[in-house]
Order: sequence, then structure tokens, then C-alpha cells
Amino acid sequence: MSSSMHSNFIQTILEAGQKVFSAPSYAITAVALAVAAFLFAVWLPNIGLVTDVFTHSSAPIGEKLRLAVTLLGGIRTNFSFLSATYTILIALLFGMNIAMIAYYLKQRVPVLRRENFFAGIFGIASGVLGVGCAACGSFILTTTLSFIGASGALALLPLKGGEFGILSVILLGASIYLISRKINDPLICPPR
Amino acid sequence: MENQNIEREPSSMKNSQNKNNNFMIPLAIIIGGVIIAVSVIYSSGNSASNLRTAGVANIKESNTEPQRAESATINNIRPVTDKDHILGNPNAQVMVVEFSDLECPFCKSFHPTMQQLIDEYGKDGRVAWVYRHFPLDSIHSKARKEAEATECAGELGGNTKFWAYVDRLFEVTPSNNNLDLGELPNIAEFVGLDRTRFAQCLDSGKYAQHVADDLADATSSGGNGTPYSVVIAPNGKKFAISGAQPYASVKSVIDIALQEK
Repeated sequence: MSSSMHSNFIQTILEAGQKVFSAPSYAITAVALAVAAFLFAVWLPNIGLVTDVFTHSSAPIGEKLRLAVTLLGGIRTNFSFLSATYTILIALLFGMNIAMIAYYLKQRVPVLRRENFFAGIFGIASGVLGVGCAACGSFILTTTLSFIGASGALALLPLKGGEFGILSVILLGASIYLISRKINDPLICPPR
Repeated sequence: MENQNIEREPSSMKNSQNKNNNFMIPLAIIIGGVIIAVSVIYSSGNSASNLRTAGVANIKESNTEPQRAESATINNIRPVTDKDHILGNPNAQVMVVEFSDLECPFCKSFHPTMQQLIDEYGKDGRVAWVYRHFPLDSIHSKARKEAEATECAGELGGNTKFWAYVDRLFEVTPSNNNLDLGELPNIAEFVGLDRTRFAQCLDSGKYAQHVADDLADATSSGGNGTPYSVVIAPNGKKFAISGAQPYASVKSVIDIALQEK
């Protein structure tokens, strides 16, 4: 990406971001969704444990909450630097993306381009595949590939599936850029 | 030009196009949600709960990885017996069965966590640590032989040497299949074992089946990655911990398990 393209990319997102997130409701929505996505990603490997403890254990509620909170420390112990980085980025971009789409809809701009739709969808989908704790062999992707009988293919990837997390960051970034361009477009009727 | 084309479209067609486009955003969100839900249900189904059963994840292409059991549940775990490698009181109230891969970097970082747990809960006999093998052949082809090496250490020097060998191996391996297998006799020597007898044991492959049995136990009890730990409470209730979770989380599960009487 050349420096002018790069600055245009950043400029477009910053301009749209200022419009969207100067409204507290969209800023709160983005933060809430980002936090939810982060919690989901970190709890995901032990979602069964959390559910089990909260529904079937006789331990006091304080103990149960302590477990849920301490599991968040897994981002440090159970993720590699790379996977922790893209997990946090995916959560942030996911929150931003949805809040910006909501803003865009609110403006009643009728046409959402297909490329934005697909970038957003594939961004979320690849994020789901790449997410999961980095503990050996426990990516969702491993399970998904196992299902189609191709788990060995994962060993061929240099980052052992981390590629999907990176792809997700790129696609969500592209989606945000595309929606930013639409948000920055002035709402005027085209000349006849 | 484009505008002219748009101008020529009948208004009914434009309205219908706009409606379709407006549907795309909610549809995108719904599809995203469905993908997430299906993935979560499918991937977490194999682990953790002792009350749920999981779907089949049939690893067809790898002969070295076991076929997952039809319904992998934590309750399928093999009972702890005196044939297991136990660190601490064999009659402890709480048993932590750890399924581990010696070439997994997260198992390596989780090893001190387990040692800390035994320091805090093992000395008064409340908690014991049971070690079982879960070599992930598809990503760590050397892990299986290393697991056999620990069993040879156990045969030649008993439980103490087994644990000493595991400790030392985790200390020296760079992880991710990067340990030179030529180091295995050196580790044996380091922990005080006879190098020649160790090499004979390892070459015989006599513990290959034992390691395979542990691996089958891991997958049939819901393990789908390493480290995978099963905490068994005094009343038999089981809690699964996936991954190298922080000490505070493991401690929390132990405290909850100790109350299950």
C-alpha cells in the first residue's frame, strides 16, 4: 500500500469515526460489542466449565464469579502474543463495524454495497475460525477441519491457523473502510 | 453514465433494489451470529461439561490420531489407579488429571502452574496431580516418543524419576517439536538413570501402547487440545479445564471442587 493510499485509508476511517462515535450511543454500542466479543473469545475454550460451575455447582456465587473473572487472565497465559493481538483487534473492529453499520442505517442511506456486506461477513466468519485459545490443537478451525477430514492441513500452515485471525483483521478493516466511505459520502441527490 | 442508467430504471425496480440492499445488513449480522453459534456449540461440545455429550469429530485422514469416541464426555475418563503417575497423596480429596503433550509450549508454561498448585494444596494431602499423555501427532510428531521416554524413566527409577524426567524434559525442550530426540538419553542420565538401560527400554517401544491408551482416554473424555485437565471432586463430580489457564483460575476450580462433598 503506497503512503498516499495508506493516509487516505486512515483519513477516511477517522472522518467517519468522528461522525459516528461523537454520538455517545454509538460509542457505547461499539465498546459494549467489543467487550462482549473479547469475553466470548477468552471464555470460549472453557465455556463448558463456566456453564457447569454456574448451573450445577453448590459453590457460593462469589467463588463462581471469581472463576469467570480469573479466566480472563487466560489472554496472557493461554494465547500466544500473535493470537492475543489479533483476538483483541478482532473484538475492537467487530464492535466498530457493527456500530458504524447501525449509524449508516440510521442515516437511511438506502444502498449498502455488496463488497461491504461480504467483507463484513467474511471478516466475522474468519474471525470465528481463527479465534479460540492458542493452546495446542484447540482452535475452532481444528474442529471444523476435522469435521471435513482435513485436520492435517492445519499443520501445513506456517501459523497453524493463526492466518485466519490475521485475515479476519484485514477483512474487518476493509469492511470498516468501505462503510466509512459511504458514511463520508454527502447525502445529496445526484444531478440529473 | 451510471446516473443516467439509474434514471432509466422504473421506480418500482429501484424500490425493490433498495429493499433488498436494506435487508443485506441485518442478514449479514444474522449470518455472522449463526456462524458463531454453530461454531461455539460444535467446538465446545467436546469439552468440559460432565453432564453433556458432544458430537463426533471424526479425524479421518490421520492414522496417528485416534478416532474420537462416539460421545466424548468427561465421565468417560479412566479411573485413577495405582498404575497412574501421581504426585501427592494417592487418596487426596481432589485429583487433577492433566493430559499433556511434551512438545506443546502451553503445556510447558502450564507445568509450573501445576507445581505451584501442588505446593499449595498437595503438601497437606488435599490435592494430587495425575499425569497422562496426550501427544498431538499432527503438530508434534516427536511428542509420542518423548512420552514413551518418560515411561521408561518411570520403569527404571519409579515415580520419582518419572516426575524428574518430565520436569527436566519441559526444562530443556524449546517446544513445538524442536527437541532433538538424541537428547532423551542425556535427560535420563541427568536425572540419574542408567543411560544404556534407558536406551534399551526406549528402543523396545514397550510403552507405545500405554501412551496410545492415555491418548485414547484424553479424546474419549472430551480433550481436544493440550493441556487438558480434569478436576475430580470428592463426590466424583468432574470439571474440565482447557488450555494453560492462569494459576488463579485453577485455584478457583480447586476451591469449588473441594466444596463438592
